[in-house]
Amino acid sequence: MAPYAYIAPFFVIFAVFGLLPLLFTFYVALYDWNPIGDHLFIGLDNFARLLADARFWNAARNTLSIWLLSTVPQLLGALLLAHLLNHVRLRFALLFRMSMLVPYITSVAATAIVFSQMFDRDYGLLNWLLGLAGIGPIDFIQSVWGSHVLIAVMVTWRWFGYTTLLYLASLQAVPRGIYEAAAVDGAGNWRQFVHISLPSLRPVIVFTVVTSTIYGLQIFTEPLLISKGTQTCGPVRQCQTLTFFLYEQAFGQFRFGYGSAIGVALFVMVVVLAGINYFLSTRIRPERP
Amino acid sequence: MTTTTTTTTRRRSGDRVRWWTYALLILAAFTCLFPLYWMFVVATTDTATATRLPPEILPGGNFFRLAGLVFSTVPFVQSIINSLIVAGVIGAGQAVLCALAGFAFAKLRFRGRDVLLLVVVLTMTVPTQLAIVPQYMIVSWLNWTDTLQALIVPGLANAFGIFWMRQHISSAISDEILQAARIDGASTWQIFWRIVFPLVRPAAFVLGLLGFVTAWNDFLWPFVVLKSPEMYTVQIAIKALQNSFNIDLGLAMSGSFLATLPLLVLFAFVGRRMVAGIMDGAFKG
Amino acid sequence: MKFRNVSTVAVAVAAALTMAACSGTSGGTSSAGSDGKSFEFWSFTGINQKQSVTQYQQKKPDVQVKLTEVGNAQETAQALTTALAGGKVPDLVLIQGDDLPKFVQQPQNFVDLRTLGADKMKGDYLDWVISQAVTKDGTIIGIPTDVGGMAIAYRTDLFKAAGLPTDREEVAKLWPTWDAFIETGKKYTAATDKAFIDNAATGVFSQVVNQGSEKYYDPAGNAVYDRSPQVKLAFDLGIKAVTAGITAKQSSFTDGWSAAMKKGDYAAVAAPSWMLGSIRDNAPDTKGKWDIATIPGGAGNWGGSYLAIPARAKNPKAAWDYIATNLSPQGLLEHFLDAGSLPPTPSVYKDPKLTSVKDPFFSDAPIGTIYTDSLLGLKPFLIGPDSVAIGTEFLNAITNVEQGKGDPAKAWDAALANIKTAIGG
Repeated sequence: MAPYAYIAPFFVIFAVFGLLPLLFTFYVALYDWNPIGDHLFIGLDNFARLLADARFWNAARNTLSIWLLSTVPQLLGALLLAHLLNHVRLRFALLFRMSMLVPYITSVAATAIVFSQMFDRDYGLLNWLLGLAGIGPIDFIQSVWGSHVLIAVMVTWRWFGYTTLLYLASLQAVPRGIYEAAAVDGAGNWRQFVHISLPSLRPVIVFTVVTSTIYGLQIFTEPLLISKGTQTCGPVRQCQTLTFFLYEQAFGQFRFGYGSAIGVALFVMVVVLAGINYFLSTRIRPERP
Repeated sequence: MTTTTTTTTRRRSGDRVRWWTYALLILAAFTCLFPLYWMFVVATTDTATATRLPPEILPGGNFFRLAGLVFSTVPFVQSIINSLIVAGVIGAGQAVLCALAGFAFAKLRFRGRDVLLLVVVLTMTVPTQLAIVPQYMIVSWLNWTDTLQALIVPGLANAFGIFWMRQHISSAISDEILQAARIDGASTWQIFWRIVFPLVRPAAFVLGLLGFVTAWNDFLWPFVVLKSPEMYTVQIAIKALQNSFNIDLGLAMSGSFLATLPLLVLFAFVGRRMVAGIMDGAFKG
Repeated sequence: MKFRNVSTVAVAVAAALTMAACSGTSGGTSSAGSDGKSFEFWSFTGINQKQSVTQYQQKKPDVQVKLTEVGNAQETAQALTTALAGGKVPDLVLIQGDDLPKFVQQPQNFVDLRTLGADKMKGDYLDWVISQAVTKDGTIIGIPTDVGGMAIAYRTDLFKAAGLPTDREEVAKLWPTWDAFIETGKKYTAATDKAFIDNAATGVFSQVVNQGSEKYYDPAGNAVYDRSPQVKLAFDLGIKAVTAGITAKQSSFTDGWSAAMKKGDYAAVAAPSWMLGSIRDNAPDTKGKWDIATIPGGAGNWGGSYLAIPARAKNPKAAWDYIATNLSPQGLLEHFLDAGSLPPTPSVYKDPKLTSVKDPFFSDAPIGTIYTDSLLGLKPFLIGPDSVAIGTEFLNAITNVEQGKGDPAKAWDAALANIKTAIGG
């Protein structure tokens, strides 16, 4: 059988449901495209309008902020936990690992429902606790920072266990003797981490940073579900991400052309950011002793 | 590097697990599990209790009443069956398709292989759901709207899975074995089924499992494609429970909990393998 | 080996299921054939269309109605849009009044209901209601199912505790104007230290803006939202309610809004007829503690929906029969008696069956007369293609001030600027 037969199923499905729609998006972006009305060719007007649209920059800011808030703590936390879990004589290791994967198997829809309740301004568990400490109440849905934090918490909760396991796997691949030898040479915990653990984690760090960038730029379901069907995600579009803005324009306002232009812009951002990430993460090198 | 063999004999005091290691790990585990516990608590009480302050921390006695309400408000049994079909076919299909393609990329030589592999890797960076509008149009042309194959077929293509299987097959199977098999007269197809697939079955199993979980939890695409209640997946059924003019938190949480329960049960059986599989991924060394 | 069995079974099951799923296309999903005896109906949640369908099936037991509650009104309109753009369309669809103009602008997507006999029925409906579903050249794409009317629902027990009157006549006398309404709210809040109404955006702005004879567009179709006196009045009253501190800052139909209603954390809510069912469902324990009084500021309407038939519908005749039966004045009257949706057909407003209706949940308030009174003498205003987008920005601006983030003095200008961006004008 020709080798192509082995890869054909993937490429056929990908061509029909991945590539074709993507190319079509680029095409629609050049139109004033009413899905149930006229399609007018307007060249690059959508993009010109996009660059001048304060809502676009707002959505870009929100997306970036939510991405940073969810990625940085998640990866750092995962590093720490992986380091802790990498202890040879740790008891209940499997139990810890398995419980950290539970959020991953919980759906975003269920997560959003339970987290919006826990973070509710007036009747939520967290604000009640904060209230006991004399803080708050914090409005985690209507305020800019609050809503970003809430979404970032949901994303982090969902993914940090998975990331931890990936890191842990890489750490375990490092022969223990190297640590022993370093310890004999007088290297402390921190220096062992920096000089042995970190370099061996480089490929997986690159991978997780790139995937979390891609995932982070597409965050949509969380803000949609916490904002209860409003298309703007709050009065000042405080948690409207780029994908959400796309959805609002395409499906709420029936502006498929404009929505597609947002999609193209987002695509460009994903590629550029993933590239920068890749470039930066491959630069993580052990410092000189 | 040469000290690898002498590791376990020596014991250093620094090797003991400190109490704060356990404290941090227990905190992390608590953080992971508490929201699910809380979901269960609210799913066993009514909304009035759920919003009372200070909150009730223990489950109430309304679980079966609310669960019954979930089953009578939306076709929940049907939606679980639908989700099982969709996620099951996607999981199994991904495992097989990705093993096939991964095998070709790892062990077969053909023109354009490297370019095509690059396409696969690039595909991983492309957020395809940005093109949800044309995707919907294509599904419409195929006359697939409001059917389960509209969810299944696009879900079968998983670029990450190909990458993953390729790495596994590269590292798990040496070229010598394949050479030997060829000399013995085995066809490529036989080599794949008799030698390669059995060896990477654990990896394919975990890949299928991940595909299953992702498909089970998918929200946006089913939300756009499915319309009839008898076609709902569980996630859409949960959404339908949140009737827009009448918010019953207990009902919504009960639905969420019931939708998560099958995965929790599954996880209890295969969680260990899933953890091992994720850790046995492509990022060693 | 364990794995062998598992994955072999998995592959076999997958193959079987794929076949089952694929073969399902031909037979399984198209339960509504084009035999005229069955049709597919998309509705939205929360307005109890099931009741209406049951009512129809009692009359036409041989017809199969496949009802789908797609989501909320907005989601249903979005689903309809994607379906019209190239998917499987339903035979009959419910569209909320606010979403209607976008569809009226593209009438080629719908059956001109005149071809099925709508011109004979046109005169039955309140003129300003049906006219929203008619294009400039007279094509009728929708028939109204209900109107909202306007009123204030209030908690008699909470009013009593605050030293306010509880009788609906006396309560109405407290607030002949919106200014008086806000003053009453201040008294309530001062006495109880609790919020008076749920929020200022829908609680005040949405009411006042729908009481004028001109909203965001003038009769010629020009956008006048930035100079229409009624819009400015509504906005200023909304801001005034915020600064008076009488709102619970709970946006309608959110978890907090629902929880606060159960707990009595606000005492009054603007309640068009369709809101009554929502109150009943949300706070069943408050039965008998509510009453309904006339709204300040005079007649007005908030909400209402239409039934339409997509052009590509397979069973337009069956769908039309549903419209003709259920949306006739008699059919609508029956539905009102069953489910409480207010008929848009003035001929039944004097029917004793309607005028004698009392709702025990709301202290036996005569809901039939309260709501129909709020509709009579109403002048139509034009709803334009961007009415929803404009309204959203105004509501957002008020909510933003209510949340303590916007400057009340700058809110109006900010709203206008946002509208310009939103509608691209």
